[in-house]
Amino acid sequence: MKNDTNTPPKLPLRFFRWYCHPDYREDLEGDLLERFEHRLKAKGLGTAKWSLYKEVMQLFRPGIIRSLGADQTLNHYGMLKNYFKMAWRNLLRYKMYSAIKVSSLSIGVAACLLITLYVKHELSYDQHFPDHDRIFRVLFEYNYQGESGFDVASQAPLARTLKEHFPEVEQAGRLNPYAFFGVGGNEIRRTGSPRGMHQKHTAYLDQELLEVFQPRMVEGDLHTALVEPRTMVISKSKADLYFPGENALGKTLVLDNKDKAPYVIGGVMEDFPANSHLDYDFLLTLAEKEFWTDEQTEWVNTNYLTYLKLKPNSNVQAFEDKLSTILQQYCAPVLAQELELEVAAIKDNFKFHLQPIRDVHLKSTHTGEAGGGDIKVVGLFAAIAIFILCLACINFVNLSTAKSANRAKEVGLRKTMGSFRIHLIIQFLSESILLSVVASLIGVLLAWWFLPYFNLLAAKALLFPWDSPWFILSIPLFILGVGFVSGMYPALYLSAFQPIQALKGTSGRGAKNVTLRNGLVVFQFGVSIVLIISTIVIHQQTGFILNSKVGFEKDQVILIQGTHTLGDQVQPFKNELLGLPGVQNASVGDYLPITGNEVKRNGVGFWKEAKKDEGMVIGQLWQIDEDYVETMGMKILKGQDFADRENNNLEKAIINETLAQKLGLDHPIGQRMEKGGGDGGNTLEIVGMVEDFNFQSFKEGIKGVCMIIGNSPYMVSVKANTADMPQLIRSIETTWNKFSPKQSLRYEFLDDRFEMMYGDVQRMKRVFFTFAVFAIIVACLGLFALSAFIAEQRNKEMSIRKVLGASVSNIFRLLTFNFIKLILFSMLVAVPVGGYLMQKWLEDYVYKIDLAWWFFGVAGVMVMAIALITISTQALKVSFANPVDSLKNE
Amino acid sequence: MSKHHLGEFEEIVMLTVAILHDEAYGVAIIDEMEQRLNRKVSIGALQTVLRRLEKKGYLSSKLGEATKARGGKRKRFFMLTSYGKKVLAEVKEQRLGLWNAIPKFVFGE
Repeated sequence: MKNDTNTPPKLPLRFFRWYCHPDYREDLEGDLLERFEHRLKAKGLGTAKWSLYKEVMQLFRPGIIRSLGADQTLNHYGMLKNYFKMAWRNLLRYKMYSAIKVSSLSIGVAACLLITLYVKHELSYDQHFPDHDRIFRVLFEYNYQGESGFDVASQAPLARTLKEHFPEVEQAGRLNPYAFFGVGGNEIRRTGSPRGMHQKHTAYLDQELLEVFQPRMVEGDLHTALVEPRTMVISKSKADLYFPGENALGKTLVLDNKDKAPYVIGGVMEDFPANSHLDYDFLLTLAEKEFWTDEQTEWVNTNYLTYLKLKPNSNVQAFEDKLSTILQQYCAPVLAQELELEVAAIKDNFKFHLQPIRDVHLKSTHTGEAGGGDIKVVGLFAAIAIFILCLACINFVNLSTAKSANRAKEVGLRKTMGSFRIHLIIQFLSESILLSVVASLIGVLLAWWFLPYFNLLAAKALLFPWDSPWFILSIPLFILGVGFVSGMYPALYLSAFQPIQALKGTSGRGAKNVTLRNGLVVFQFGVSIVLIISTIVIHQQTGFILNSKVGFEKDQVILIQGTHTLGDQVQPFKNELLGLPGVQNASVGDYLPITGNEVKRNGVGFWKEAKKDEGMVIGQLWQIDEDYVETMGMKILKGQDFADRENNNLEKAIINETLAQKLGLDHPIGQRMEKGGGDGGNTLEIVGMVEDFNFQSFKEGIKGVCMIIGNSPYMVSVKANTADMPQLIRSIETTWNKFSPKQSLRYEFLDDRFEMMYGDVQRMKRVFFTFAVFAIIVACLGLFALSAFIAEQRNKEMSIRKVLGASVSNIFRLLTFNFIKLILFSMLVAVPVGGYLMQKWLEDYVYKIDLAWWFFGVAGVMVMAIALITISTQALKVSFANPVDSLKNE
Repeated sequence: MSKHHLGEFEEIVMLTVAILHDEAYGVAIIDEMEQRLNRKVSIGALQTVLRRLEKKGYLSSKLGEATKARGGKRKRFFMLTSYGKKVLAEVKEQRLGLWNAIPKFVFGE
């Protein structure tokens, strides 16, 4: 008992032993204990203990503390140092293999990093809005006469009604970007300035919606900017453009040369960021707007995008379900009347949905949606990134295990000297991590170097994230991850060698190992072949879209835009154009068979005269002029053009094949039909039927179109018939300036616009091509190294064969046959996979190519040729070598 | 100006080691110094100086035999090296020289 209490305290002594230099540990501890015992006798336990603590602290000083690292009990510093030294020496010793490992890994890292940047950007859309998790867009699900889908547009009074009925709604408002209402591209001029500029990104907006989006205001007040009628909010960049060095607030802008009704700037906001689905620069207020009588209160037309912000902690699902009461109370009666359905049936076929704002960019494939991102493409890209990285890691695994014989002796010796298996695993892992560090650094630099090209390729403006925390944090993790993934198998494999066998030189040639290596080669080339097949199919499909018959002639058509500002001078302008040399035809009309800026679309119901009960067809009602059909080069299958029409009291119409078919009119000419619309139905007489033409994207089928004579003055199309296009443009410009001196001539070519519609497919083709090339390079690097290894390994064998009479071609065949087998096998695997994937991709298109056998043939032959060239260099070297060279030093 | 500079504390430690001769180990040195000079000596300061002097070559050390006392830990005995003795003698010479140079009346005998 007494002994126990008189022992010195353990804690300070343990601390002392930890920090003390091992040479001094014993005598100093002795001194401490002696003094402790002495004090214990003289002054008692408390003082003795206290003094011991004090003296241990006094000794904690340089000169007594052991030096860092020199002590082997704390860490494996020395051993780690040795591991890295060995790794470094091995890297330098087998220069070619190391170079291949590092270069394929850095290509993999670079490709992966670039795609990651892209994917991250795509996924970051619309998350900058404050409270973005509470902001939703209203979608309208429809299912009518076999057509179903989601419509983004909703009724004018919906936003207001939702806010009145449901306490959960904090704010709700509407956006209207449609050319039909005179936005989505306007000529904008500063009041008093002689010339304006064309601005694409214009839209109508509710004040309340501005408060939902909460852009940061540079000038003006967020809460009052759009309250007054005829006010607008413009972006900072446009304010700098129109009012450089001035305050824009309170100044006025004239839209489309309507000098009498200018817009007052109620505020200037920061530009919407690049990763927002909203890209508007000019937001015109909807305050006191009414586009036609009762437009703001009727529930028939759907022309507005409705957004709302829910109160915090609202149950979204429950709220969405409650929206059916709105549907029944307001929409059902109108819809039922319009579509001649039972009111009860409305509930089953139509439904309101809420779409979180962050889903708008990637998950919108709705009717009336301008091209955004595509979650499928993002997924596809992510998959490609992972695959390329896998290919690079496979090279590492293959080369490490193939070259294992070189390391077997080292493993044997280390084990003999007392290494445990875990030590060897750590050694080989540290080696692969070292390699991964080198490769990743090179890869990051490569990615940085290639980013501008990648931006061109993907039509993005990505920045390299040198300073973002996620990047700085994830790079080391990534390096470790790649090091582990690529190094784990080789480490396990190499560390398992038995010392005796290893030192005798008989390990490292296991058959199991060869199977794995072959499997990995098959995987590499399989992935490459799939990528090549995809590239070919996408290329063919794009070519098919751009060059096949589209139902109209897109070549040599000039689109003169913004002509609505001419007012009633449009017709004289057109007539004057017709007089120019080189002009074959001209037509006023903005319903064009392309999509995008200033092109109008609508949706109108059609039915056979007095037979609405047989069903209504939703189609397009296009207002054109007499020269439209000819200018566009559309082909009249039956009947005649407007120009040749006879006079009677009925309005005449030309329809397309689809509409005729949907209405069930076998002989449409002379038949009558009725159309719906705001001003009640009216009867049309069909005078002609044109061949179907594509006016949406090839992803959608052709819809019914009915063309009538009307006024749609935003564009004048000119069909040219001249070899000297610049000269024609000049004379058109002269004519234009005569009519509209305040506005510059703005024109595009129809075929350019047509190609723009398919920009995303073109981009996808290029991206696929690029990464297919990367994949092939990585796979070929690996194959090259493997063939070099095999050639090296079988060098003596081949020399003996040659001495015994084998010919060069015999030897060449022996060395390449195995690889060719592997590649044939990977084709066998890749062709069905590639075919299946591409079949899936083509399903999105209504008009598409059929997969032909030669797509796969070309891909196969290409890969085979590249692979053969790769292995041939090594095989030929061995085949032609003089046997003496390799046999003499036995 | 000697090239061997000894600090005051270093000098005292070396002198004490010399006094104790064969018995100069950590605790004994502290006790001796505290007794003769009537000043507190911290073990940390002393041990650092001892190691430093050993590194400079003025002192050498060897471990003694293990005993039952002090938890069975051996003592480390320090002794002057001949180099250390020379340095110490030099210091003494310098001091004496200084003393002798003082005029007699200063201390007023």
